Amino acid sequence: MKKTILVTGVAGYWGARVAAQLVTEPEYHVIGLDTEPPTQTIKELDFVQADIRDPALLDLLKSEKVNTVCHLLFDEQIRVSERAFDLNVMGTMKLLGACAESEISQIVMKSSMMVYGARYANSSFLPESHPLKGSRRYGYIRHMTEIEEFCDGFDKEMPELGLTRLRFAGIVGPTAITPMTRFLRSQWAPILLGFDPIMQVIHENDVVAAIVHSIVNEISGVFNIACENTLSLFQMIRLAGKFPMPVLHPLAYRGASLLGGRKKQFIPLDLDYIRYPWVGALEKMQNELGFTPKYTAEEVLREFAHKRNQGNYHPAFKSLSDEDMDLNDVIEERQYMSTTA
Amino acid sequence: MGNTHKAAEGLFESDADVQEEENVTQKIQTETSDQDVHKKLMAELDGLIERVREATPGFEPPQFTPERLMERVKKELKHYTPDIQLGILKKLRGTINEDLLDIDTWKGIWYMLSYTAEYQTGFVKEQWRGENATDEWGMDWELRQVVRPFFEFLYGNYFRVEVTGIENIPDEGRGLIVGNHSGQLPWDGVMVAAAVEVEHPEERIVRTLFATWFPTLPFLSAFMVRLGGATATVENATRLLEQDELVAVYPEGYKGVSKLFRHRYQLARFGRGGFVKMALNAKASIIPVSVVGAEETYIAIHKSNTLAKLVGTPYFPISLRFPLFGLFGFIPLPTKWYIDFGEPIPMDGYGDDASNNLLLVTRLSDKVRGIVQQMINKRLGKRKSVFFSS
Repeated sequence: MKKTILVTGVAGYWGARVAAQLVTEPEYHVIGLDTEPPTQTIKELDFVQADIRDPALLDLLKSEKVNTVCHLLFDEQIRVSERAFDLNVMGTMKLLGACAESEISQIVMKSSMMVYGARYANSSFLPESHPLKGSRRYGYIRHMTEIEEFCDGFDKEMPELGLTRLRFAGIVGPTAITPMTRFLRSQWAPILLGFDPIMQVIHENDVVAAIVHSIVNEISGVFNIACENTLSLFQMIRLAGKFPMPVLHPLAYRGASLLGGRKKQFIPLDLDYIRYPWVGALEKMQNELGFTPKYTAEEVLREFAHKRNQGNYHPAFKSLSDEDMDLNDVIEERQYMSTTA
Repeated sequence: MGNTHKAAEGLFESDADVQEEENVTQKIQTETSDQDVHKKLMAELDGLIERVREATPGFEPPQFTPERLMERVKKELKHYTPDIQLGILKKLRGTINEDLLDIDTWKGIWYMLSYTAEYQTGFVKEQWRGENATDEWGMDWELRQVVRPFFEFLYGNYFRVEVTGIENIPDEGRGLIVGNHSGQLPWDGVMVAAAVEVEHPEERIVRTLFATWFPTLPFLSAFMVRLGGATATVENATRLLEQDELVAVYPEGYKGVSKLFRHRYQLARFGRGGFVKMALNAKASIIPVSVVGAEETYIAIHKSNTLAKLVGTPYFPISLRFPLFGLFGFIPLPTKWYIDFGEPIPMDGYGDDASNNLLLVTRLSDKVRGIVQQMINKRLGKRKSVFFSS
């Protein structure tokens, strides 16, 4: 019998990528859930248009005999808003509640190492058991911290649900839009003068690979996931091809609180996260999860810089030869599909 | 790197396998072997020394032989990275059999300087590009090499540190150095690290743990992390020790550093015994160390809580020179220092769960504190002068 996997947020970036990866495995029946259909159709994806906050979700889980839920529907905006809270925190709570009622064997969730909080007394390598003290100033981190705290209790009460939380370091990649890529893409990358914490990054492809890895191997638990080597913030910004702009830290905090009143945030990362370390210990990832990221930290940032530089020189009109190439690809793909079908 | 290093050392001995690039020296080398050149130079230098002796009767310079000169050059070369060593030696070889007063000697010196400059600019470029190699803790080996001469100056010339018991530091494997903390600014931590790097045959790197509030201040902790430090948490220390590193910790913390002059050499409380937990977790021996001389570098007469709150530091000393004389007050007095390493206290006989046994932890903490205090008292009894060697 085929295993049924429900992926939430397939209209979003992560949901679409994970679903596209999962449908390639023949032993899975993948159901995609979102309020709107994905922009690019994923073949063999069983799309269901619904809201995760809908109470009827439980009926869907039961009638489809879902085995695994992969929860990727999060609003990652940095502002603290009631709408995002309702989707992130209330949505996750309702989903977990529905999972508890039905016969789910694993729930996989994408989380962030930012939930530990960047604190001055932090150890250089934080274990998964580290208390959660995420920043309360930035919406996504605040919501994620609340969700994780709730999950801690949930996990203790119902260990049979196989709750898997993958806490990723700063996600960097040419196509993903995350707090870290927004920071590295912004006009100038500010650093606080005299502060140079060690940082971890992870490639967007490795994020997808880690989520799929935990579903395929059915490993549950809490895991930090990042590239195995660390970089200092300065190294990171330079390797990403940006010029660090030093700012006096009292001014930066003052400025952030002044600008925070308006709709625009000062920088896409909380200032504490470029002042103090929030690096995770990776022993559990290596030993229990058995996952190894394909990219090293340097490779991630060099590729990012490379792609960003290329993007600066995109011509306004594509040349016809390029179009030709695209059509050739489509023809090849169609031929391949017809021969295998 | 290791191979070039060996090659650089090998140039002093017979080095038939090292490819020579200079065309000037090619001719000389085909006529005489390196050994002969070496001997010839030594003989010439000997002759020079004799002539100096004859010219200045009555003046007895310290024993100075060509061998010692070579030793000296070798020692100085250690400060550079192997690549530069090789470069300098290659350039110097062209001039080595010439007269010391020859223009080529100056060429050699010029080469040496230009190499240093080249290296420095290369270092800055690499740092700016973000391509400097760091370990997972953020330690930067090249930066360590660059700042080493400054710390060696402080160690050898400024504080004239005398060290005993360096044999208590293991050649390899883990060890937790526990010492007294004093002197308003943590120069003592820097000097203990320098002592191990200079005196120990293996030139071991000491990973110094710094107070957890340090990262709130700009520059200081960023710099210390790049030199190999880490915040003083049990998790950090256990991880470092399990990587078989040599870790140094000063459990008195800021209570020790901020001691007033009239309380000098009276150990404060050894924290909450966290250092014992570190050692027990990693089953690493504790090596007690006493630093005598650091207490007199700044003469603190008062601690101002109001100013400390204003500046945002845990303590604010009023010393004879600070804040009255401004930045001048930051310069430590050039006292004579003694660093004594005690015998290692093994920590492996207490079982796996020992770090949770609070009774044991506090008992061991007091024991180590007693040993360090005894070592200080012993040294103070022998010391005759604060500023001069006795």
